[in-house]
Amino acid sequence: MAFSKFPQPVDVHIGMVVDPTDKTLPKGDSVSNNQYTRYVKEKYNINIIVDWTAATGNDYKQKVSLSIASGNLPDGMVVDDRSFMTKAASSGLLYDITDLFQQYQSSQVKDIMASTQGRALENASYKGKMVSLPNITVDTDGVHIMWVRKDWLDKLKLPVPKTLGDIEKTAKAFIDNKMGGPKTIGIAGPSKNTFPYATFLNSSNNMGGFDPIFGANDAYPGYWVDNGDGTVTYGTITDNTKKTLALLADWYKKGLIDPEVGTRDNVGDPINANQTGIFFGPWWNGGYGNGDSFKNDPTANWHAYPVYTTDGKWNSHMKTTGSTYTLISKKAKPDVVKAILIMNNALVRDEATFDLSVAVGWYPLRNVMAAANETEYEYTELLKVLKGETKPEDYNKPNSLYKLMYSDAKKVQTVIKAPYDNLNVSNFDMKNFGDFQRMYSLMIGDAPFSTIPIDKKVYSVTYNQTPTMETKWANLKKMEDETVLKIILGQASIDSFDKFVKDWKSQGGDEITAEVAGLLKK
Amino acid sequence: MKRMGIQKHYYLMLLPGMVWLVMFSIVPMFGAVMAFQNYNPGQGIFHSEWVGLANFKYMFQLNDSKSVIFNTFIIAVGKMVFNLLIPLIFAILLNELTNLRYKKLVQTFVYLPHFLSWVIMATIVIGIFGYYGVTNTVVQTFGGQPKLFMADAGIFRQLIIGTDVWKEFGYNAIIFLAALTSVNLNLYEAAAIDGANRWQMIWNITLPALSTTVVLLGVLSLGNVLNAGFDQVYNLYNPLVYSTGDILDTWVYRLGLQNLQFSLATAAGLFKSVISFVLILISYRLAYRFADYTVF
Repeated sequence: MAFSKFPQPVDVHIGMVVDPTDKTLPKGDSVSNNQYTRYVKEKYNINIIVDWTAATGNDYKQKVSLSIASGNLPDGMVVDDRSFMTKAASSGLLYDITDLFQQYQSSQVKDIMASTQGRALENASYKGKMVSLPNITVDTDGVHIMWVRKDWLDKLKLPVPKTLGDIEKTAKAFIDNKMGGPKTIGIAGPSKNTFPYATFLNSSNNMGGFDPIFGANDAYPGYWVDNGDGTVTYGTITDNTKKTLALLADWYKKGLIDPEVGTRDNVGDPINANQTGIFFGPWWNGGYGNGDSFKNDPTANWHAYPVYTTDGKWNSHMKTTGSTYTLISKKAKPDVVKAILIMNNALVRDEATFDLSVAVGWYPLRNVMAAANETEYEYTELLKVLKGETKPEDYNKPNSLYKLMYSDAKKVQTVIKAPYDNLNVSNFDMKNFGDFQRMYSLMIGDAPFSTIPIDKKVYSVTYNQTPTMETKWANLKKMEDETVLKIILGQASIDSFDKFVKDWKSQGGDEITAEVAGLLKK
Repeated sequence: MKRMGIQKHYYLMLLPGMVWLVMFSIVPMFGAVMAFQNYNPGQGIFHSEWVGLANFKYMFQLNDSKSVIFNTFIIAVGKMVFNLLIPLIFAILLNELTNLRYKKLVQTFVYLPHFLSWVIMATIVIGIFGYYGVTNTVVQTFGGQPKLFMADAGIFRQLIIGTDVWKEFGYNAIIFLAALTSVNLNLYEAAAIDGANRWQMIWNITLPALSTTVVLLGVLSLGNVLNAGFDQVYNLYNPLVYSTGDILDTWVYRLGLQNLQFSLATAAGLFKSVISFVLILISYRLAYRFADYTVF
């Protein structure tokens, strides 16, 4: 049933996010007629009808928000914020897919769901009913590491920085020696649309945040930290966070951090322009995330390392299973719901076989499902392929949990050249740039998480909003964002932190903390 | 009815505008009822739970609401005053020019920015006031320290008002220039014969001639006192300047479309509309009294 073809054509109406900068769609093709829609039509007799499109980012969010507000959802759409899912669910706009999902999930989807120990199912459910298809992304998306220009370090004969003190010295050396020209930036930071640290609501993929800096001070701002004694603390209001903010403010004052932090349009700009020596983010930020940096300078030897505490520990906060959701309208017919489930199975099974010269983002209702440890598995196995210990054909296992492994194993030897012990940018062939980006992220970016055990993994007690948060969180979050940025930029003194903590507590923070602590008892 | 027959084509021309007005201004007004409900999209505006004034009470409890109303007021009043004053001065100065070709050239150039949207203008403004922008380059040439203007809450309002005036003053001057063409030239000749200099002519002839227009425009803009300009602020602000730069419209946008608090956002929007409505009534009375201007 997981891959059955409908006898009669089934029309599926969708709302679709499009990347306005995409140039991969061939002439004559459109959002509702391309290789992916033709594939689902041919194989499963599903007609994709695109009700509306909106550009990635705020435009799409706005469109989703409006369609929820008007109670008028397309049959299917993918949303990128859990609050959209819960709002639609609590308003009774979503289809209860609990039973149909059990019947129609493919064995691969089942395995991937199982790899999260039930966390993915819980994430996709509202009041015990499964009301959306969750995405499941690799754990390493939430492990933020330090990206540093190894070639600059080598030129200055500096060691790889390990602790916060080392980072300060390294950033200073980069700037003093003008490694990236007169506008050299020691450490890049968040833009006006991103945040200084990942939070329980956006717990992964925070490119350009300061997450590892906080971790190295044993601070977990934005996370609900379990104190182990039945109580919970919001990580932002701790002394360790205050200490780290004071340090960041000091670095900003000394000119080590991007002077335009918090007001830039785009995090990636100074990184891609090769003005930056250090930034922080997850495994894919080098390779996938900063492709232009390599295009501008093919010798940009970005390397990834953990940041350690003074006593040599690696602390990291950890992400939730996924944060995007395929919503299916309550008004959809059962056949339409089945069609959406089948399309999801098909994507998981066949994504590696598609001709990816047309961006896979054009796949209707694409919502990624991957095994939580896929990246680490690939890192280890690809290294074996490179060293000749295994052959690509060994991975030719249809319906494998690791769906991209076989195609990557076939590519890896053409992209990466020997010697394999100590990979640098010079080992990589950039002819097929897409393949290069993937291999670079996998083999360089995920090397730390694949090979070095994290000493302290911190999970948030919840990754969702509690009832009181629905009305009060926006206000508290705004206060937090403002205070944190102002302290870093030196517009407010570090003493204003104490007032923020007091206000935060009295304006609903204490109430919410009690609610979150209540979740522990369950 | 007979008159209506003669003017049929005028009413026909009016039709698209009326349809637009009904669709986008009259019909959505019924949605304002959400402000008094705990709106649930699944139940719609007819079946959602009625909560009376609870949303308004909560709105005024929020610290944000006061600062947001204050910011809106300051920015809007600033724009009203300077969008009246600067174009007036500019129009008078331009009127004194004798080289007609130069005059036309200047006029064309200064009203060009009016036609650009704030999305584009914001990029230009950041190009001027950004950390690596023109202003800081000049400051550095003279040995000063570069400053992060866009993140400075202390000057954000001035920046908003200033850039808005810069964008609009050329366009706003058109009405004054039009009014100036209707001034009787004999008055200037008579003044010249009496030995008045240019300055005295401006003071005694030009300005009095423009006074009705100034009063009229000033009074009519009163209705906009809570419109501080969503497009502009949204494209220029960032969390560092929320304290002085966040206005009612951007606040409503974040509450409603980003945080899905539909009822609270509607309440804030309705609050703005009610205040604006009262101000429009007042301005209409004033316009009638001081400028003898009526619509109905």
